[in-house]
Parts: sequence; structure tokens; C-alpha cells
Amino acid sequence: METWKEFDANELTHSAAHHLLAIHELGGQYGGWARVSDIARELGITRGSVSINLRGLKKRGLVDTDEHHMVKLSVEGEKFVAGLTAKKMALREFLQEVLGVTEAQAEIDSCKIEHLVSEEALAKLNEFLVKWRAQERVAITR
Amino acid sequence: MAGTGTGGDYTMNSKRKEIVEELNRLMAEELEGFLRYFQMRYRLKGIDRLAADKFFSHALEETLEHAEEIAKQIRSLGETPRLNINLSAAGGPTNLTEALQETLAVEQQALDAYKEMLPRVTGDPVLEDFIRKQIATETEHIQEIKTLLE
Repeated sequence: METWKEFDANELTHSAAHHLLAIHELGGQYGGWARVSDIARELGITRGSVSINLRGLKKRGLVDTDEHHMVKLSVEGEKFVAGLTAKKMALREFLQEVLGVTEAQAEIDSCKIEHLVSEEALAKLNEFLVKWRAQERVAITR
Repeated sequence: MAGTGTGGDYTMNSKRKEIVEELNRLMAEELEGFLRYFQMRYRLKGIDRLAADKFFSHALEETLEHAEEIAKQIRSLGETPRLNINLSAAGGPTNLTEALQETLAVEQQALDAYKEMLPRVTGDPVLEDFIRKQIATETEHIQEIKTLLE
């Protein structure tokens, strides 16, 4: 596949991933359940857009809804968010700590790259970070 | 007392600002619905399009009327309507059932939004009446769509 086409070849769109992250964050206070209105506010879009996007996520088994139109991550959804968060954290650490990118920019860039980076590259990045942290510890103790 | 008056004014202004923000959101919901219905008519093909054309044409008119009404309410509160839409309606061809289910999801959210707005405007005769009418209209819509989906 040509590289540019891979931008759209992800399992989930970037927007869908952000819906899952928003549900994860908002649901933290209410046993995992989030309101569509709060998700809409968090993402800066309308409730109508959120409800349509949630239909797609529900079909894929990533979210559950109840009769009060509340929404929660499914077990699969939780797994997806955990993977996403780990990816973002590794990328943010690399950008901020290794390259010296500012915190705010590292947050933005890690979000963008996370959606496109391969599992292979991420595994290599994590290996690199382990070695880098060890070197940093040695440098500090000297 | 001047102090009490200033505090009262602040509370009034703050409450009015919140209401205007909510009305702007509701207007965006309606206008986004308008754009979705516009596109939906072209996502349907053949007999499905023919069957649903009247329904979606009517929905188009009504969502625009609702948006217009909300804009007028915002103006009557002394503010200018602000539109913040971030819409990508990229859905491909669909069938009638899917289209109606999608419409139901959007209408349900509109109804929930109006219901959530009601306690905020209780006591304001004009706004309260307006929101109650919207709730009645949206409830009717939802019932109509549910009947079509049976």
C-alpha cells in the first residue's frame, strides 16, 4: 500500500479514538458512564455528531449505551483506550524528554503521531526509552 | 443597596450568558441537522429516496425554522447568534432503515438537549414557552420516526 493511503487505513478514525478517550475521561467520575452532552462539550462538537459517531462505535462493540442515553466503554473499548494511552505516553516522553519539545507541543504532536505510528516502530521506541532512562539515571548519579 | 444590586446584576448577566451559550449550541444542533438531512436525501437511492423524500424535505424545512426561532430568541436577549459547527458528514450510500435510525439518534439528542435546557429557563415566560413547544415538537418527531421504523 502506498504510504499516504495508510493515513485512512487505521482500525479507527482519529475522531473515533478521541470519542473513546473522552468517554474514558468523563466516565471516570461516574462508574465509567458519560453523558452525550458532556462528550459533545469535551470534543467541541454537537450532540447530534456524537450520537452518530457513537452508533459506529457501538456497532464495533467498543461502547455500550443504556436507556438513559448514557454511554460507557466496553471491555474492548477499555483495551483500545489503554493501548492508545500507552502509545501517547511513550511518544510524549520521547518528544518532551529526549528531544526537548515543549510540554504543550509534545501533547499535540504525540496525539497526531499516535494515530499513524506502527506497532513495530512503537516497540522500538519503547526499547529506546528504556535504554535512555537507564543512561539518564547513570548520568544523574555521576 | 448598591452592593446587592451589583451582585444581582452579575448573577443575572452570568445566567443570561449561560442561556445564550446553550441557545447557540441548540441552534448549531438544528443547523447541523439541516445539513445532515440535506445530505441524507442524496445518500438514499431508488425507491428508498422516493419513499423518504417528503419526510426529509419536511425535516429540512423544520430544522431551519427551529434554528431561525432560536436565533430570534438569542437576539431578543440582546446577543448576536454565534454559530460553531464542526461537521464532516461523510456517510456513504445508505438504506431507508439506516437513514431513519441515524435520524432518530440525532432527534433524540435534540430532544434531550431541549429537556436539559428547560430547568434553566423556568420562570422566563417567553423562553420557557419556547422550549416547551420545542420539546413537544421533537417528541412528536421521535414518535413519528419510531412508527416508521416499526
